[in-house]
Amino acid sequence: MAKPTPSQTVGPFFARELLWKDGGIVVFPGRGDRITLTGRVFDGNGAPIYDALFETWQADAAGKFPSGDDGSRPYGYGRVSTDTEGRYAIETVMPGSFKGPGGETYAPQISVAIFARGLLKALQTRVFLVPLDAIKDDPLARAIGDPDRLRTLIATRDPGDPKTYRWDVGLRGAAEAVFIEF
Amino acid sequence: MVETRAADVHPPYLYLDYKSTRLRAPTQPLVRVAPSPLEATGPVFPKQFVRESEADLTTWGKSAPLGEKMVLVGRLLDEDGRPVRRSLIEVWQANASGKYPHPVDDHEAPLDPNFLGKGQVLTDEEGRYRIVTVKPGAYPWQNHAFGWRPAHIHFSLFGNAYAQRLITQMFFPGDPLLAIDPIFQSVPEAGRKLLIADLDLEHGVEGVALGYRWDMVLRGPRATPMGV
Repeated sequence: MAKPTPSQTVGPFFARELLWKDGGIVVFPGRGDRITLTGRVFDGNGAPIYDALFETWQADAAGKFPSGDDGSRPYGYGRVSTDTEGRYAIETVMPGSFKGPGGETYAPQISVAIFARGLLKALQTRVFLVPLDAIKDDPLARAIGDPDRLRTLIATRDPGDPKTYRWDVGLRGAAEAVFIEF
Repeated sequence: MVETRAADVHPPYLYLDYKSTRLRAPTQPLVRVAPSPLEATGPVFPKQFVRESEADLTTWGKSAPLGEKMVLVGRLLDEDGRPVRRSLIEVWQANASGKYPHPVDDHEAPLDPNFLGKGQVLTDEEGRYRIVTVKPGAYPWQNHAFGWRPAHIHFSLFGNAYAQRLITQMFFPGDPLLAIDPIFQSVPEAGRKLLIADLDLEHGVEGVALGYRWDMVLRGPRATPMGV
């Protein structure tokens, strides 16, 4: 067995290199309800993180994981950086629920990876796009258990703009989100 | 449940000597998740996503960039030694003076109008890649007094499944700055040599470019849910 190559930080200087035009507009082969996932990323002092790389991967509206591309970009994948206020925005489709290898049902959720200066490894997590009472049987929700912890991974639908889902991410401390490993 | 052999080579989130980790590292343990299709699948990059010229960082400008020209070859493998095929590798780096064309880079070193320092390549059927560039310069940073980052090239890797996603840095053999670099030193001893390229003269260009070799290893199928 070869040892895996160790992770290192993305550092502060990736903006010209890793960001794509329209990287925050996620493409799919089929249709779906277009939504925007947006929010801010904070450090352990509650200060905005203005230099994070924020990546997403998800199922399509039917709960299928798309393989392929639209000719210029892979399906299902989003990539943006946070701005000076720590804000990110991903325009995508509402993912469908999907089945795991044992037939278990996953609620609509999006995988999120956060890279930044000061992160020696990516922070991995998932954000749910349905309320707490709709994810009770989700395998990740069950693994987390504690509803207060679980709430850190639930996006809130904006009452004034139902196509917008708001999700803030604390990396450390009082507002710290749940992060996962796989 | 997946195994975590990786624990002995990856750095921790909190590494006090690297000051930026102090406010960004989570305090709670990570939650281990069951295998799911979210990690077993991943973005697929079309061949046309990458132009062949993007593997040569020295042809971006009107004329050759300043610095020591180099060729970097290697393979992208999984832990079982199998090639990771048709997989996107993104690279970025400082120029030969240790300067990035980035607005927050305040190092008083010259930009090179003939060097952007960005490239990408898809691995071939054997997992091989080849990049032509100039050796990046070391540069000072404000993490600690008299701190300098050793010369390094950033790598962003996708593998063939989301579980294989990795961002890392490649360093150069014999660099005395490695011993004082908290980012490199954050890696446990067993993993450090895996981040250092080897000289590989025959893969250089005689009289023109110095050759280096660096192989990278991503999590293998056993560590990847659903046998991807």
